Amino acid sequence: MNIEIANDSYLLKETCEKLLKLLRENGVDENTIFDIHVGFEEALRNAMVHGNKSMPNKKVKINAQVTEDHVLISIEDEGDGFDPKSLPDPTLDENLLREGGRGVYLVEHLMDEVRYENGGRRVVMKKYFVKSHK
Amino acid sequence: MQINVEEKNGISVFRMEGDIDINTSPEVKKSLDQAISAKKDKIVINLGKVGYVDSSGLATLVEILKNLRGYGGKLKLTNLSPKVMGLFEITKLNKLFDIADGEENALNSF
Repeated sequence: MNIEIANDSYLLKETCEKLLKLLRENGVDENTIFDIHVGFEEALRNAMVHGNKSMPNKKVKINAQVTEDHVLISIEDEGDGFDPKSLPDPTLDENLLREGGRGVYLVEHLMDEVRYENGGRRVVMKKYFVKSHK
Repeated sequence: MQINVEEKNGISVFRMEGDIDINTSPEVKKSLDQAISAKKDKIVINLGKVGYVDSSGLATLVEILKNLRGYGGKLKLTNLSPKVMGLFEITKLNKLFDIADGEENALNSF
């Protein structure tokens, strides 16, 4: 899967479904698919809303490679980038009642490897199909 | 998204069916806002038929809890699937919410 999509939130679910279909065709178990579903959708929405600032003239590039034991996904927006370390930890007691700030945290905890490149404009995520325990 | 609402002994029970995500969160909020406007002080949200919750859905549930607490209302969540419960555990929201094991236990825990 190697596509470039318009920065349109209506394409979010459709793109996610394409990835899930690809994973199911490759026999990936449903628990792992759930984690990838949440991680991918959160990361893609971050790219569209926070990266590209919901601007319809921007694009998002998505690449997903499925191998025998993992999927490697990259999502790149055209925004200004960001520093993931600058985000507050949403699990601290003082932040539990905050409404936002859980998207990036979920990505980092549901995927096995996550790294940010190109100043935070590109997130690269790997998920192994034999679930690792963190 | 389907939301069924029932009053049981002064407790408002919201049974959700479908995903709670960026598309359906406004519907969930709107439904609960009616109860909050009416100052309902005992609310149960049954998530037994909810298979997927994203960060928007979690944010909506947190907002509902905050609004309820604003006038001393209490909220219980129940029937979370293991996958959805996993999201609450990862985000530590299981510490914030009162999560009951089954609707009857939720109703009896006020």
